[in-house]
Amino acid sequence: MHRKLGVVVAVVVVVTAVLATAGLASRSSKTTKQAFPTGPVNLTMSWWGEQEAAGAKAWLNETVAAYQKKHPNVKIKTVLQTTDGLIPAFKAAAAAKKGPDIQYFWGGIWSLDDAWLGNTKPVSDYIPKSELAHYLNAKEDTFDGKVWTAPWYVQPSFPVLVRKDVLAKAGVAVPTTWPALLKACDRLNAKGITPIAGGIKDGWFGGWLFSIIGAQGITSISDVLDATTGKAKFTDPKLAAYWTRLQELRDHKCWNDDINSLELYQGQQRWSEGKAAMTVAAGSDVKKFVKKVGVAKVGVMPMPKWGTGPYAGKLGSTSQTVGITSWTKYPEVAADFIMFMHNPERMSAWFKTTGAFPADNRFNTKLITLPQQKVLFNLVKSGSPYLENFIPPELDAKAFFAQSQLLLGGSINAPKAAAATEKIAQRIRLTQRKQMANFKKWSGSYK
Amino acid sequence: MTSDTAALSRPRRRRRFRPGRFEPALWIAPAVAIVVFVFGYSMFELVKTSLLFDGAWTTENFRVTWTDPTFRTALGHNARLLLAVPILVATSLLLAILLFEGLRGWRFHRWALFLPYILAIPVIGVVFGQLLQFNGLVNQLLRAVGFGGLAQDWLGQPRWALWTMTAVIVLRELGFGIVLFLARLLSVSSDIFEAGRMDGARFFRLHRRITIPQLSGVIIFYVVVEAITMVSWVFNYVYVMTNGQGGPGDATQVTELYIYQTAFQYQSPEIASAAAVTLFAVTLVLIAMFFRVQRRAGIGLDA
Repeated sequence: MHRKLGVVVAVVVVVTAVLATAGLASRSSKTTKQAFPTGPVNLTMSWWGEQEAAGAKAWLNETVAAYQKKHPNVKIKTVLQTTDGLIPAFKAAAAAKKGPDIQYFWGGIWSLDDAWLGNTKPVSDYIPKSELAHYLNAKEDTFDGKVWTAPWYVQPSFPVLVRKDVLAKAGVAVPTTWPALLKACDRLNAKGITPIAGGIKDGWFGGWLFSIIGAQGITSISDVLDATTGKAKFTDPKLAAYWTRLQELRDHKCWNDDINSLELYQGQQRWSEGKAAMTVAAGSDVKKFVKKVGVAKVGVMPMPKWGTGPYAGKLGSTSQTVGITSWTKYPEVAADFIMFMHNPERMSAWFKTTGAFPADNRFNTKLITLPQQKVLFNLVKSGSPYLENFIPPELDAKAFFAQSQLLLGGSINAPKAAAATEKIAQRIRLTQRKQMANFKKWSGSYK
Repeated sequence: MTSDTAALSRPRRRRRFRPGRFEPALWIAPAVAIVVFVFGYSMFELVKTSLLFDGAWTTENFRVTWTDPTFRTALGHNARLLLAVPILVATSLLLAILLFEGLRGWRFHRWALFLPYILAIPVIGVVFGQLLQFNGLVNQLLRAVGFGGLAQDWLGQPRWALWTMTAVIVLRELGFGIVLFLARLLSVSSDIFEAGRMDGARFFRLHRRITIPQLSGVIIFYVVVEAITMVSWVFNYVYVMTNGQGGPGDATQVTELYIYQTAFQYQSPEIASAAAVTLFAVTLVLIAMFFRVQRRAGIGLDA
């Protein structure tokens, strides 16, 4: 009797093991070896990027055409979004669970927020690990062991562009430290030259400034994540220092007097026109600025150094990404197209067209010939995390966009801005409880 | 013809359906059905979402929303925008009367005053956004004529931004009032004005005693429409002129923008729903107040 029972148990165990193995095998084969559909496939890709990588649209059209030629049954429609419309348009699509199959995301929280909301499928379920290993900065898009969106191109975030000709004319040396920058502001102002051109009306520049100035005061990205979740505070000296530095820039009249009137790109335009000595630009767009102004006249550097932390004097490095939406019928095709964007020929074409670095370590770096891009590439190789990607978008908008506007406009001072930031963070901890829980989990991967 | 055949050929008396006092309700029933069909479900969902907090039925979302300083600021700004309504009414009434009186070049003036109203709000927003920059055309003109001290960052300074926005809204909405009042004025019998003039009434007396009473229904209508506009229809202006931020800071934040940002940028549909229900309630109260005033004053829209 006991023997019979033993045989039955053994059979059950074996059968279960076989079935489980078969199940696992079928699941793992699903990630990489799903048959490519042969019937008509229509995909929509909602994207952004022409704004910061001029030529991206032409490249994407070329890439879609090449992919459609390779797969005649696939049609890909691309929809270029505006800067202000990119996120709301996707959120509206996500609410209806209807819309693009491939969606553009900035890195970090901009990618993971939608993963947490169930709006995307992890790309690591469809793109082989061996392929994903080549994609740069994928760590910031990783949560719970999965990569949620696939890096497309690197965004060196954000270099200071210098008009060497303007500085030389004013007899001012290129400032590389904070005191030198403040002194340069005083001297340039005395000569009637705007030291740094910017535009903050649309808010985005506030997030940039927080990242490139604020990063210098922290010791690790955990400082920001902890302040977000309430383990630390935004009024702590490490994080509040950003506001103090920004006030110093304001008090030394480092910015154009109409910074609150201008949008980000309008501010940069002032620099291109030679009306300002410096500006802050997207690293992906440096080629455009250099070509416009002249190779000999432009210098590229990180924000002058004031801190002693590990990120001081470094340039942030993040990658702009594309993800697969949770409602798409053809995730495998979307993933295949994303991988197609990373083939060597497409990567070279991308760099030649836009001047932005593909987010892939297989990219042929010999193509980099422009001196400014070489500087940028070396800075990015030893780059630091980009702070704005590690705070909730609501905090970014209500604190770093809005309070930076108020501070630069002279309505508030640094302590008030820091206090307002903490107050907003406290409220977000109350209203965004699910997001906070995920933030806590996410911060664990940066300990 | 026999009496039998005569009886047969007599038309049979049909019983007619007489809805009586329900007749008006029957006539508007199709429209009500469409409104219920279009808005009923969404209103139901909106209220339902606003009452769900972590899966439980509660008013917690309302408490969270009403204690949000940004929401309060937004509501306060909508209330401040309401101050523009009397300005709108007075200005458009005055301009309509001037046009009615045959002001020299009135055709051109009528066209110029109505033009902003037919332009799309984004166009107005972009144009004024450019004009009102710190180094924009308005300030350049002020500096050129020696009033540089008056030059301000009209949309970039918190203390000016909302008033500047209000001025732009007034400028555009003015055209609607002018056309509305002018159309009503043109339908008033000229005999009434003639009689007034013969009795010795001059400009102000004439219009105070004749025009305003004649236009009272239209004025009330315009007040209601503009009040609703200021409370729940200014999103486009704010979105375009501040790049969707409601800035600088929250200086131009309004309730609609708050709802939009909370729902679609910050993914808090429950809070957004609570704010939307609050806005709906405020608008309803406002409409009810206006109609009560209208009834008490005994003014009909046909006036």
